[in-house]
Amino acid sequence: MAGRGKLIAVIGDEDTCTGFLLGGIGELNKNRKPNFLVVEKDTSITEIEETFKSFLVRSDIGIILINQFIAEMIRHAIDAHMESIPAVLEIPSKEHPYDASKDSILRRAKGMFSAEDFR
Amino acid sequence: METGEMLDQKILLYMDQLELLQGRRASLNALIEQGWFSLSKARYSMGNKHVSSLQYASEMEPQVCVQTRTGDSDAVEFSTERITVQRPSERVQDATPVEDIGPKEEGVRRRIKAKDISGQEERAAATEEKVQTTEPPSASRSNKCDQSPQADPLKWFGILVPQTLKQAQSSFRQVIELSAEIATLQAAVMKTREELKLGMKLEKH
Repeated sequence: MAGRGKLIAVIGDEDTCTGFLLGGIGELNKNRKPNFLVVEKDTSITEIEETFKSFLVRSDIGIILINQFIAEMIRHAIDAHMESIPAVLEIPSKEHPYDASKDSILRRAKGMFSAEDFR
Repeated sequence: METGEMLDQKILLYMDQLELLQGRRASLNALIEQGWFSLSKARYSMGNKHVSSLQYASEMEPQVCVQTRTGDSDAVEFSTERITVQRPSERVQDATPVEDIGPKEEGVRRRIKAKDISGQEERAAATEEKVQTTEPPSASRSNKCDQSPQADPLKWFGILVPQTLKQAQSSFRQVIELSAEIATLQAAVMKTREELKLGMKLEKH
Protein backbone atom coordinates (compact mmCIF):
# COMPACT_ATOMS: atom_id res chain seq x y z
CA MET A 1 0.00 0.00 0.00
CA ALA A 2 2.90 2.33 0.69
CA GLY A 3 3.18 5.03 -1.93
CA ARG A 4 0.05 3.89 -3.71
CA GLY A 5 -3.02 6.07 -3.71
CA LYS A 6 -6.40 5.24 -2.30
CA LEU A 7 -9.07 3.03 -3.80
CA ILE A 8 -12.47 3.80 -5.24
CA ALA A 9 -15.23 1.65 -3.75
CA VAL A 10 -18.61 0.93 -5.36
CA ILE A 11 -21.96 -0.09 -3.95
CA GLY A 12 -24.36 -0.61 -6.78
CA ASP A 13 -26.39 -2.84 -9.00
CA GLU A 14 -24.75 -5.41 -11.22
CA ASP A 15 -24.29 -3.18 -14.26
CA THR A 16 -22.86 -0.31 -12.26
CA CYS A 17 -20.35 -2.59 -10.54
CA THR A 18 -19.46 -4.37 -13.78
CA GLY A 19 -18.85 -1.05 -15.50
CA PHE A 20 -16.63 0.34 -12.78
CA LEU A 21 -14.72 -2.92 -12.43
CA LEU A 22 -14.15 -2.83 -16.19
CA GLY A 23 -12.73 0.62 -15.61
CA GLY A 24 -10.15 -1.00 -13.31
CA ILE A 25 -11.13 -0.05 -9.77
CA GLY A 26 -11.64 -3.59 -8.42
CA GLU A 27 -9.47 -4.95 -5.66
CA LEU A 28 -9.52 -8.02 -3.47
CA ASN A 29 -7.21 -7.44 -0.54
CA LYS A 30 -5.17 -9.98 1.44
CA ASN A 31 -8.24 -10.92 3.48
CA ARG A 32 -10.11 -11.31 0.17
CA LYS A 33 -12.35 -8.39 1.08
CA PRO A 34 -13.56 -6.66 -2.08
CA ASN A 35 -13.93 -2.92 -2.51
CA PHE A 36 -17.33 -3.33 -4.16
CA LEU A 37 -20.77 -4.69 -3.33
CA VAL A 38 -23.17 -5.93 -5.97
CA VAL A 39 -26.63 -5.19 -4.64
CA GLU A 40 -29.20 -7.68 -5.81
CA LYS A 41 -32.86 -8.13 -5.05
CA ASP A 42 -32.14 -10.31 -2.03
CA THR A 43 -29.40 -8.08 -0.54
CA SER A 44 -30.57 -6.84 2.84
CA ILE A 45 -30.38 -3.22 3.94
CA THR A 46 -28.32 -4.31 6.97
CA GLU A 47 -25.73 -5.84 4.66
CA ILE A 48 -25.59 -2.66 2.57
CA GLU A 49 -25.24 -0.51 5.66
CA GLU A 50 -22.53 -2.70 7.17
CA THR A 51 -20.59 -2.69 3.91
CA PHE A 52 -20.91 1.09 3.64
CA LYS A 53 -19.69 1.54 7.22
CA SER A 54 -16.81 -0.87 6.64
CA PHE A 55 -15.78 1.20 3.60
CA LEU A 56 -15.93 4.37 5.72
CA VAL A 57 -13.48 3.00 8.27
CA ARG A 58 -11.08 1.56 5.71
CA SER A 59 -8.13 3.90 5.41
CA ASP A 60 -7.31 2.75 1.87
CA ILE A 61 -10.57 4.00 0.36
CA GLY A 62 -10.72 7.54 -0.99
CA ILE A 63 -14.06 7.68 -2.80
CA ILE A 64 -17.25 5.67 -2.33
CA LEU A 65 -19.60 5.56 -5.30
CA ILE A 66 -23.14 4.51 -4.48
CA ASN A 67 -26.29 4.24 -6.57
CA GLN A 68 -28.76 6.87 -5.43
CA PHE A 69 -31.61 4.41 -4.89
CA ILE A 70 -29.33 2.37 -2.59
CA ALA A 71 -28.20 5.56 -0.84
CA GLU A 72 -31.87 6.25 -0.13
CA MET A 73 -32.05 2.96 1.82
CA ILE A 74 -29.19 3.99 4.12
CA ARG A 75 -29.71 7.76 4.03
CA HIS A 76 -29.16 8.17 7.77
CA ALA A 77 -25.70 6.58 7.53
CA ILE A 78 -24.75 8.80 4.58
CA ASP A 79 -26.03 11.95 6.26
CA ALA A 80 -24.05 11.08 9.39
CA HIS A 81 -20.80 10.96 7.41
CA MET A 82 -19.29 14.44 7.58
CA GLU A 83 -15.61 13.85 6.80
CA SER A 84 -14.23 14.70 3.40
CA ILE A 85 -12.29 11.41 3.09
CA PRO A 86 -13.73 9.11 1.91
CA ALA A 87 -15.91 11.25 -0.32
CA VAL A 88 -19.35 9.79 -0.98
CA LEU A 89 -20.72 10.26 -4.49
CA GLU A 90 -24.27 9.37 -5.37
CA ILE A 91 -24.66 8.15 -8.93
CA PRO A 92 -27.71 7.22 -10.97
CA SER A 93 -28.74 3.66 -11.73
CA LYS A 94 -30.39 2.16 -14.77
CA GLU A 95 -33.90 2.25 -13.34
CA HIS A 96 -33.54 5.33 -11.19
CA PRO A 97 -32.27 8.56 -12.75
CA TYR A 98 -30.22 10.95 -10.64
CA ASP A 99 -32.27 13.34 -8.54
CA ALA A 100 -30.27 16.28 -7.20
CA SER A 101 -32.90 17.04 -4.56
CA LYS A 102 -32.12 13.69 -2.87
CA ASP A 103 -28.33 14.08 -2.90
CA SER A 104 -26.92 14.47 0.62
CA ILE A 105 -24.31 17.06 -0.37
CA LEU A 106 -26.68 19.17 -2.45
CA ARG A 107 -29.34 19.04 0.26
CA ARG A 108 -26.76 20.32 2.72
CA ALA A 109 -25.76 23.00 0.25
CA LYS A 110 -29.39 23.99 -0.29
CA GLY A 111 -29.91 24.10 3.47
CA MET A 112 -27.40 26.93 3.55
CA PHE A 113 -30.09 29.32 2.39
CA SER A 114 -32.91 28.04 4.55
CA ALA A 115 -34.46 30.10 7.33
CA GLU A 116 -32.65 28.00 9.94
CA ASP A 117 -29.25 29.22 8.83
CA PHE A 118 -30.22 32.87 9.06
CA ARG A 119 -31.47 32.60 12.65
CA MET B 1 -18.63 46.53 5.82
CA GLU B 2 -15.55 44.50 5.01
CA THR B 3 -17.06 41.36 6.48
CA GLY B 4 -20.18 41.96 4.39
CA GLU B 5 -18.16 42.26 1.19
CA MET B 6 -16.25 39.13 2.06
CA LEU B 7 -19.51 37.30 2.63
CA ASP B 8 -20.81 38.49 -0.74
CA GLN B 9 -17.70 37.19 -2.43
CA LYS B 10 -18.01 33.88 -0.63
CA ILE B 11 -21.62 33.54 -1.73
CA LEU B 12 -20.64 34.24 -5.34
CA LEU B 13 -17.87 31.66 -5.09
CA TYR B 14 -20.33 29.21 -3.54
CA MET B 15 -22.77 29.73 -6.43
CA ASP B 16 -20.01 29.28 -9.00
CA GLN B 17 -18.89 26.06 -7.34
CA LEU B 18 -22.46 24.73 -7.26
CA GLU B 19 -22.95 25.58 -10.92
CA LEU B 20 -19.72 23.84 -11.84
CA LEU B 21 -20.72 20.83 -9.75
CA GLN B 22 -24.08 20.64 -11.50
CA GLY B 23 -22.38 20.76 -14.91
CA ARG B 24 -19.93 18.01 -14.00
CA ARG B 25 -22.77 15.94 -12.58
CA ALA B 26 -24.66 16.20 -15.86
CA SER B 27 -21.66 14.99 -17.86
CA LEU B 28 -21.04 12.16 -15.36
CA ASN B 29 -24.65 11.00 -15.68
CA ALA B 30 -24.45 11.14 -19.48
CA LEU B 31 -21.21 9.13 -19.49
CA ILE B 32 -22.61 6.48 -17.15
CA GLU B 33 -25.68 6.16 -19.36
CA GLN B 34 -23.46 5.74 -22.38
CA GLY B 35 -21.49 3.05 -20.51
CA TRP B 36 -24.65 1.11 -19.63
CA PHE B 37 -25.86 1.33 -23.21
CA SER B 38 -22.57 -0.13 -24.44
CA LEU B 39 -22.73 -2.84 -21.76
CA SER B 40 -26.25 -3.75 -22.84
CA LYS B 41 -25.16 -3.93 -26.46
CA ALA B 42 -22.25 -6.18 -25.46
CA ARG B 43 -24.65 -8.37 -23.48
CA TYR B 44 -26.91 -8.60 -26.50
CA SER B 45 -24.11 -9.82 -28.73
CA MET B 46 -22.33 -12.06 -26.18
CA GLY B 47 -25.30 -13.54 -24.39
CA ASN B 48 -27.03 -12.69 -21.16
CA LYS B 49 -24.78 -14.72 -18.85
CA HIS B 50 -21.53 -13.60 -20.42
CA VAL B 51 -21.64 -10.07 -19.05
CA SER B 52 -22.44 -10.49 -15.38
CA SER B 53 -20.85 -10.59 -11.96
CA LEU B 54 -20.14 -14.30 -12.50
CA GLN B 55 -17.36 -13.28 -14.88
CA TYR B 56 -15.40 -11.31 -12.27
CA ALA B 57 -11.90 -12.62 -11.69
CA SER B 58 -11.01 -14.32 -8.43
CA GLU B 59 -7.90 -12.15 -8.13
CA MET B 60 -8.13 -8.40 -8.69
CA GLU B 61 -5.74 -5.54 -8.39
CA PRO B 62 -6.73 -1.95 -8.99
CA GLN B 63 -5.53 -0.27 -12.18
CA VAL B 64 -6.53 3.15 -10.99
CA CYS B 65 -6.09 4.85 -7.66
CA VAL B 66 -7.00 8.19 -6.11
CA GLN B 67 -4.44 10.62 -4.77
CA THR B 68 -5.68 12.97 -2.09
CA ARG B 69 -4.05 16.19 -1.05
CA THR B 70 -5.05 19.32 0.76
CA GLY B 71 -5.23 22.30 -1.57
CA ASP B 72 -4.58 25.99 -0.97
CA SER B 73 -8.04 26.57 0.49
CA ASP B 74 -7.69 23.64 2.93
CA ALA B 75 -10.22 21.64 0.92
CA VAL B 76 -9.29 18.09 -0.04
CA GLU B 77 -8.42 17.56 -3.70
CA PHE B 78 -8.82 14.20 -5.40
CA SER B 79 -7.04 13.11 -8.55
CA THR B 80 -6.98 9.76 -10.28
CA GLU B 81 -3.85 7.98 -11.31
CA ARG B 82 -3.51 4.91 -13.53
CA ILE B 83 -1.26 2.21 -12.11
CA THR B 84 0.89 0.74 -14.85
CA VAL B 85 2.98 -1.98 -13.32
CA GLN B 86 4.45 -4.01 -16.13
CA ARG B 87 6.17 -7.18 -15.05
CA PRO B 88 9.16 -8.51 -16.98
CA SER B 89 7.14 -11.57 -17.96
CA GLU B 90 4.46 -9.35 -19.46
CA ARG B 91 7.06 -7.41 -21.33
CA VAL B 92 8.34 -10.63 -22.88
CA GLN B 93 4.84 -11.61 -23.93
CA ASP B 94 4.08 -8.19 -25.28
CA ALA B 95 7.11 -8.44 -27.50
CA THR B 96 5.73 -11.58 -29.18
CA PRO B 97 1.98 -11.17 -29.16
CA VAL B 98 1.40 -13.51 -32.11
CA GLU B 99 2.47 -17.13 -31.95
CA ASP B 100 5.05 -18.02 -34.62
CA ILE B 101 4.16 -21.03 -36.66
CA GLY B 102 6.71 -22.75 -38.95
CA PRO B 103 10.48 -23.06 -39.02
CA LYS B 104 12.42 -20.70 -36.81
CA GLU B 105 15.37 -20.30 -39.21
CA GLU B 106 14.90 -18.26 -42.29
CA GLY B 107 16.27 -19.22 -45.72
CA VAL B 108 16.91 -22.61 -47.29
CA ARG B 109 17.69 -25.57 -45.06
CA ARG B 110 19.92 -28.46 -46.03
CA ARG B 111 18.86 -32.05 -45.64
CA ILE B 112 20.92 -34.15 -43.26
CA LYS B 113 23.52 -36.22 -45.11
CA ALA B 114 23.97 -39.90 -44.27
CA LYS B 115 27.55 -39.55 -43.03
CA ASP B 116 26.68 -36.69 -40.76
CA ILE B 117 23.90 -38.60 -39.04
CA SER B 118 25.90 -39.50 -35.93
CA GLY B 119 27.03 -35.90 -35.46
CA GLN B 120 23.55 -34.62 -36.06
CA GLU B 121 22.09 -37.04 -33.53
CA GLU B 122 24.42 -35.70 -30.87
CA ARG B 123 23.49 -32.14 -31.72
CA ALA B 124 19.79 -32.99 -31.80
CA ALA B 125 20.06 -34.60 -28.37
CA ALA B 126 21.81 -31.49 -27.06
CA THR B 127 19.15 -29.17 -28.47
CA GLU B 128 16.38 -31.39 -27.12
CA GLU B 129 17.91 -31.12 -23.67
CA LYS B 130 18.08 -27.39 -24.10
CA VAL B 131 14.44 -27.25 -25.12
CA GLN B 132 13.46 -29.36 -22.13
CA THR B 133 15.31 -27.09 -19.77
CA THR B 134 13.99 -23.89 -21.29
CA GLU B 135 10.38 -24.87 -21.95
CA PRO B 136 8.95 -25.26 -18.44
CA PRO B 137 9.77 -21.73 -17.27
CA SER B 138 8.21 -20.18 -20.37
CA ALA B 139 5.05 -22.26 -19.93
CA SER B 140 4.73 -21.30 -16.28
CA ARG B 141 5.42 -17.72 -17.23
CA SER B 142 2.55 -17.61 -19.70
CA ASN B 143 0.24 -19.26 -17.17
CA LYS B 144 1.19 -16.73 -14.54
CA CYS B 145 0.54 -13.95 -17.00
CA ASP B 146 -2.94 -15.19 -17.84
CA GLN B 147 -3.97 -15.29 -14.20
CA SER B 148 -2.24 -12.03 -13.31
CA PRO B 149 -4.54 -9.89 -11.14
CA GLN B 150 -3.18 -6.86 -12.98
CA ALA B 151 -4.61 -8.15 -16.27
CA ASP B 152 -7.06 -6.01 -18.19
CA PRO B 153 -10.59 -6.62 -16.78
CA LEU B 154 -11.79 -6.97 -20.39
CA LYS B 155 -10.13 -10.40 -20.38
CA TRP B 156 -12.53 -11.64 -17.71
CA PHE B 157 -15.20 -11.61 -20.37
CA GLY B 158 -13.20 -13.50 -22.98
CA ILE B 159 -10.31 -13.05 -25.34
CA LEU B 160 -12.31 -11.78 -28.28
CA VAL B 161 -14.72 -9.29 -26.78
CA PRO B 162 -17.04 -7.08 -28.84
CA GLN B 163 -16.11 -3.49 -29.53
CA THR B 164 -19.07 -2.33 -27.47
CA LEU B 165 -17.53 -3.79 -24.31
CA LYS B 166 -14.36 -1.81 -25.00
CA GLN B 167 -16.50 1.29 -25.47
CA ALA B 168 -18.18 0.60 -22.14
CA GLN B 169 -14.75 0.32 -20.52
CA SER B 170 -13.61 3.62 -21.97
CA SER B 171 -16.83 5.34 -20.83
CA PHE B 172 -16.41 4.06 -17.29
CA ARG B 173 -12.75 5.08 -17.25
CA GLN B 174 -13.87 8.62 -18.04
CA VAL B 175 -16.53 8.36 -15.34
CA ILE B 176 -13.84 7.39 -12.81
CA GLU B 177 -11.75 10.44 -13.72
CA LEU B 178 -14.80 12.67 -13.56
CA SER B 179 -15.85 11.25 -10.19
CA ALA B 180 -12.54 12.37 -8.68
CA GLU B 181 -13.20 15.85 -10.05
CA ILE B 182 -16.72 15.84 -8.57
CA ALA B 183 -15.39 14.66 -5.21
CA THR B 184 -12.98 17.63 -5.24
CA LEU B 185 -15.83 20.01 -6.07
CA GLN B 186 -18.03 18.54 -3.33
CA ALA B 187 -15.26 19.04 -0.79
CA ALA B 188 -14.79 22.62 -2.00
CA VAL B 189 -18.53 23.31 -1.75
CA MET B 190 -18.63 21.96 1.81
CA LYS B 191 -15.59 24.04 2.75
CA THR B 192 -17.12 27.23 1.37
CA ARG B 193 -20.38 26.40 3.16
CA GLU B 194 -18.56 26.14 6.50
CA GLU B 195 -16.75 29.43 5.88
CA LEU B 196 -20.03 31.13 4.96
CA LYS B 197 -21.75 29.83 8.07
CA LEU B 198 -18.90 31.08 10.22
CA GLY B 199 -18.92 34.44 8.44
CA MET B 200 -22.66 34.86 8.94
CA LYS B 201 -22.36 34.08 12.64
CA LEU B 202 -19.59 36.70 12.99
CA GLU B 203 -21.67 39.24 11.10
CA LYS B 204 -24.58 38.80 13.52
CA HIS B 205 -22.42 39.42 16.60
